[in-house]
Amino acid sequence: MMMRTLSAALAALTCWSAVAIAQPAPPLDPSDAFVLSVTADAADSLQIAWEVQPGYYLYRSKIEAFEADGEAIPLVLPDGEVYDDPWLGRDEIYRTPVATTIPDPQGEVTLHWQGCQQDGICYAPQQVVLEADGTIRAENAVKAEAFGSWRAGGSAVQPALSDGTTSGAQDGLKLAKDDGLVADLSSRGGVALVLLGFFGFGLLLSLTPCVLPMVPIVAGMLTRQGGDMTAWRGLSLTGAYVVAMAAAFGLLGVVAAWSGANLQATLQSRWAIGVIAAIFVTLALSMFGLFELQMPASWQARLARRQGSAGSLSGAAALGFGSALIVGPCVTAPLAGALIYIAQTGDVMLGAAALFALGLGQGVPLLAVGAFGPAILPRRGAWMERVKMASGVVFLGLAIWLAGRILPGPIVLALWAVLLVGCGVAIGALDRLAPETGRSARMAAAAGVLLVFAGLLQGLGAALGSDDPARPLAPLAGSRQAPADDLSFQTVTTQAGLAQALQASYPALIYVTADWCVICRAIERGPMADPQVMAAMQDLVRIKVDVTDFGTEAQAIMADLAAAGPPTLVFVDAARSEAQDSRLIGNMSAERLLASIRQVAP
Amino acid sequence: MTVTRRAVLGGGAGLGIVALGGIGLSRFLRSSAPDADVHAVLFDPDQPVLGNPQGDVTVAEFFDYQCPFCKRGHDDLMAEVEADGNLRLIMKDWPIFGGASVIAAQMVLGGVASDDYLGAQAALMATPARLSEDDVRSTLSAAGLDPDVLLGAYGRDRARWDGMLGRNAQQAAGLGLQGTPAFIVERTIHAGAMDRTALRRAIAAARATD
Repeated sequence: MMMRTLSAALAALTCWSAVAIAQPAPPLDPSDAFVLSVTADAADSLQIAWEVQPGYYLYRSKIEAFEADGEAIPLVLPDGEVYDDPWLGRDEIYRTPVATTIPDPQGEVTLHWQGCQQDGICYAPQQVVLEADGTIRAENAVKAEAFGSWRAGGSAVQPALSDGTTSGAQDGLKLAKDDGLVADLSSRGGVALVLLGFFGFGLLLSLTPCVLPMVPIVAGMLTRQGGDMTAWRGLSLTGAYVVAMAAAFGLLGVVAAWSGANLQATLQSRWAIGVIAAIFVTLALSMFGLFELQMPASWQARLARRQGSAGSLSGAAALGFGSALIVGPCVTAPLAGALIYIAQTGDVMLGAAALFALGLGQGVPLLAVGAFGPAILPRRGAWMERVKMASGVVFLGLAIWLAGRILPGPIVLALWAVLLVGCGVAIGALDRLAPETGRSARMAAAAGVLLVFAGLLQGLGAALGSDDPARPLAPLAGSRQAPADDLSFQTVTTQAGLAQALQASYPALIYVTADWCVICRAIERGPMADPQVMAAMQDLVRIKVDVTDFGTEAQAIMADLAAAGPPTLVFVDAARSEAQDSRLIGNMSAERLLASIRQVAP
Repeated sequence: MTVTRRAVLGGGAGLGIVALGGIGLSRFLRSSAPDADVHAVLFDPDQPVLGNPQGDVTVAEFFDYQCPFCKRGHDDLMAEVEADGNLRLIMKDWPIFGGASVIAAQMVLGGVASDDYLGAQAALMATPARLSEDDVRSTLSAAGLDPDVLLGAYGRDRARWDGMLGRNAQQAAGLGLQGTPAFIVERTIHAGAMDRTALRRAIAAARATD
C-alpha cells in the first residue's frame, strides 16, 4: 500500500514536472545561449569563458580546442555537474559560467563546444577560430561540422578539423584545408622561403618592360651627382631608392593582408582597370618620346642644393617611393596574383615582408645601374630608341589587353587593328624597297607586312562583331559559341543558389569568377577550352559562382568556400568533400586543371 | 438561382478573404521555410516513411540518436502517430553528436533492407542519451539484430543513404535549424522538444490551414 502510494505520488510528480517543463521558451540563438568571451593575458595565454544562460547547459566533453594542424590542445576544465538520469545518461555538464585557459597558443586555435537548452533543443556543435591574440573569427561552421561528420562510413569519424579539413558554412561543403602558396611555402621552409619566393618573383618582374621607366629616373638622379660619383656612392643612392620602392610595395602588402580579397577586387574593378590602362598609355607615350619621365623640377633643385649625403639619400628614397606609384600599376596583373595569396593568409607582417621582398627583387637591376654608374647604360642612340619604342608598343598592347575586360569586343579588335597596322607601317611594311636594300630592312618589311595583315584581320573581325581577338573571323566560321556551349556552367550568385546547385550527387567544379576578373577570361580561353579538359569536365556538375557584384552575398559565398577572390576553382567529390591540394587559384595550365578534375572524377 | 446583390457582395467578400488568406499563407510559407524546398524536405524519395504513408499531415523530425530530448519525446511521438492514424512520420537523421550518432544512423538505415528500420530505431531511441559505438552495437544486439549485418546493408546502399544524410544536413542548414530535435509539421517549423499536447496542437493547426 505504502509502495503504491509512493509510486502514484512519484508518477504524479513526474507528470507535473513534465507539464511544467513541457514548453520551454523558444530556444535562444546558440551564440546568445552560450556567450563566449576570450581575453589574452599578460603571459600570452588566452582566457576562455562561456556565460551559460539559465536553463541551458554545456557538455564538458564537448569543449575542445585544436591547433591549426588539428592537434588537440589539452584543456584543464573544472569538474562539472554530474548528470545521471535515464534520458541523458551519465554526463558532466555546466549550467553556470565556465572558464578555461589555452596556454600561449602558437598560431590559430579552433575552439569547439556544444550544449543544450534544458528540455528543449541540443544545438549543433559550435566552433570559432581564435587568433593568437584572442581575436575571435566567427566560422559559423555549426552545420557544416555536423555535415562533415556523417561522411565516414563503417567506423567512427574524426572531428572535421582533425582530418585535415576545415568546414565551409551554410552550404555544408567540406573544404580541404587549403593552405595556398604562401602557407605552403611557409610550412615547408618558414617565412624565409616565402620571402625568397617573392624576391624571385620580383626579379622576374624586373625582366618586364615595367622597370624601364625607372631606368631614366635612376640615371638622371646619378648624373646629377656630378663627376665625383663613386661606385659606393651610386650604390647607396640606388639602394635608398630601391629600399623605398620596396617599402611602398610593402605597404601594399599590408593593405592586401588587411583587406583580404577586397583589394584584389578593387584592383580589378572597372575604374581601376580604366585608370591602369590609361597609365600604360601614358607610359607608352613617354617611351615614344612625347615627354620625358623624370623627377619634378623642384625635387631636382632640392637634390642639387643639398649635396650632403643625408639629404640626397632621403631624396633618393622619396624618389623611389614615388616611382613605385608609377611602376606599381604596370605590374598590377602579376601583382594581383601575388596579392590573392597574401590576402589568403591575412597575416599583415608576412604580407608586408613578402611584398617588400618582391620590391627588392624588382630593384636588383637598378642596383647594378647604381653600382656601375650610368656608364653601363647604353649611350642614347638608335639602339636605345628602338628598345624604348618596342616597350612603348608592349605598353600599348598591355593597355588594350586590360581594357578588353571593360570594352566591348569589337572595339578591342579595332584597337588591336590600329596598333598592329601602326607597328607594321612603322617598321617599314609600306616602305618602298630599293634593289640595293639590305637583308635586315627586307626582313623588317616582311614582318611589317605580316603585322599589317594581322591588323587588317582584327579590323575585319571588329566589323564582323567578333569579340575574341584570337579568332577575329569566328563569326564567319559560324562556330563562335562552340566552346561556350560544350562547357555550360550553372551560374549562381547566392549561398542558397550554390547549395541548390550542389544537390546533385556528382563531383562538382565550383568556379569563382567575375566579369572584372582579368585572369578568368584567360583561363576560359586557355586551359578550359582545351579539348581534353572539356571532355573531362563533362562528368562534373559545373557551377560558376559569379562575384561580379562584390556585395555581402558574394563575400559570404567566398567565405564559405574559403576563396580569397576570383579566379578560384574548387573541386568537390560526390560526397561534397574537397579533394586535397586540388584547389586552383590564379592562372593554370591545362595539365594542372586536368589533374585537379581527375582527383574528384577519376 | 438568381444572382442577387447580396450573393455578389458575399461572394466577393469570400473571394477577398480567400485571396488574403492565400497571400498570408504564402508569406507564411516563405518565412517558415526560407531556402529549402518544402517538398524536398518532406518528400525525399530515399527517406523511409513511418506512420501512415498516405496520411494527410506529414511530421518530420530532425533528430540525433544521442539527443536526450529527441529520445525522451520519442514515445509520445510514436504514440500520437499510432493514435492519430493519419500522420505520415519521417525521422530525418541529422547526426550532430559525432561518431556514435553517425554509426547509429547508418546501422538503422541499413535495417531498411530487412524491414528492421523501425525496430532498430525504437531500440536506439530507448537508450540514455550518451552512446559509444559499443553501446550502439550492444543495444542493437539486445534487440535481436546483428550490427554488422546492418552496417553491411548500409554499405551496399551507401550512395542512397549518404546522399540522403547529406541532403538532410543541407536542409537543416537551409531551414536555419539550430539543433535537434526540430519538428516540421507540414509547413511549420518547431525548434526544440514537443510534448504530446504541443504536437497535437501543431497537427490540428496544420489540418486547419489545409
